[in-house]
Amino acid sequence: MIMENRYQRHIQLSEIGQTGQDKIKKAKVLVIGAGGLGCPALQYLTASGVGIIGIMDPDIVSVSNLQRQILYNENDIGKNKALCAEHYLSKLNSDVKIKSYPFALTVENAAEHIAKFDMVIDGTDNFYTRYLINDQCVLLNKVMVYGALYKFEGQVSVFNYKNGPSYRCLFPKPPGKGEIPNCSEVGVLGVVPGVIGMHQASETLKIILEIGDVLSGKLLCINLLNHTNTIFDFEKNENEIIRLKKLGSVIPIENQDCFVDFELSLTQLSSQEMIMWIDVREQDELPRVTHLNVVEHPLSNDVSLKIFSDFEGKIIAFCQTGIRSKVFVQKLKDKGIENCFSLKEGAKQLIEWGL
Amino acid sequence: MEIKVRYFGQLQEITGVKEASFTLPFDTIGSLRAHLITIYPDLKNINFKIAQDNKIDSDLSDLNGTLIDLLPPFSGG
Repeated sequence: MIMENRYQRHIQLSEIGQTGQDKIKKAKVLVIGAGGLGCPALQYLTASGVGIIGIMDPDIVSVSNLQRQILYNENDIGKNKALCAEHYLSKLNSDVKIKSYPFALTVENAAEHIAKFDMVIDGTDNFYTRYLINDQCVLLNKVMVYGALYKFEGQVSVFNYKNGPSYRCLFPKPPGKGEIPNCSEVGVLGVVPGVIGMHQASETLKIILEIGDVLSGKLLCINLLNHTNTIFDFEKNENEIIRLKKLGSVIPIENQDCFVDFELSLTQLSSQEMIMWIDVREQDELPRVTHLNVVEHPLSNDVSLKIFSDFEGKIIAFCQTGIRSKVFVQKLKDKGIENCFSLKEGAKQLIEWGL
Repeated sequence: MEIKVRYFGQLQEITGVKEASFTLPFDTIGSLRAHLITIYPDLKNINFKIAQDNKIDSDLSDLNGTLIDLLPPFSGG
């Protein structure tokens, strides 16, 4: 296939030209979170020919994601988002080197991964990762392209651009527990992350191309219900930047957010708790866990709600490695069952723990 | 002087309105915030920013704008 005309519509623009397209090819962009915001941003950046694109997401595709996370389809349910996104995007544009990171950004790994890229697109759905990205971008002098949403509204901004303000200059401290509802509790019109994610892709390309006005020191607020787009100016807070740089590491905050809030580790449990254990493995998988409080409910079976609805303790699903149990818990949550968790460890560790 | 106050995101749910007008005089952004918290006590728990005439300002700043916007952080993605 002849690909030489691929970027013709970019190159035709006097603001871009071949020089601009070469800049896009040299760019290295890390997209953290391949969900509602990440999907559209990734698609456009890949189509645009960004040289290297990193995709980081520990999460798996669940059925309730498909309403807005447009890279995925029904066959992807239960698969890791970063790996799925890599699969589709490498078919879209073989010029682009795509690297997936199917795990979470953590205090320990943030510097190592962010350092490899020129800029980061924040496609996360939680404050914990957002502050982590911000702090690490300030420390490593990387641009952070921010997007976030609530129901029918979204916010876009660019942080740490040419010594500009950071996320902490706008919101110095993460909200306290329960102050702002997390994503699994709030509905959102499916197109909202699309609009916001594309704004993030657009800012990213403008920064790479050095054209137009970048949303640095500006917060763009979009409301799709009433068509209002408002840009608010805000100032850099030198104290916030100095505090971070003096500390030389990210400011620790408690992780109380979304995509981890239904995972539990054995170390967080006491043997006195009232727990209903759900084995979501198929019946021929070993080792079997034989205990009065274990209910066998293979993931492949339809969810039977009867056994769960009256139980008042913790419902904890497990499998071999903690991946299928997350899919199962998401299914229960989608059906309105709240007190359910996914065990991070597997059946073997559960037996060793003493069940 | 009348000021128009607009609520963004979940602040609309806390206050039950999208916008409101006030004719009371407020010296500073902080005094407006304190007044709103007396009307809507749940606002106390939200760390929202206040913009006047499209500029986000600190609570210590004089309130001299006529369009006031209350902006909470968003977490969704």
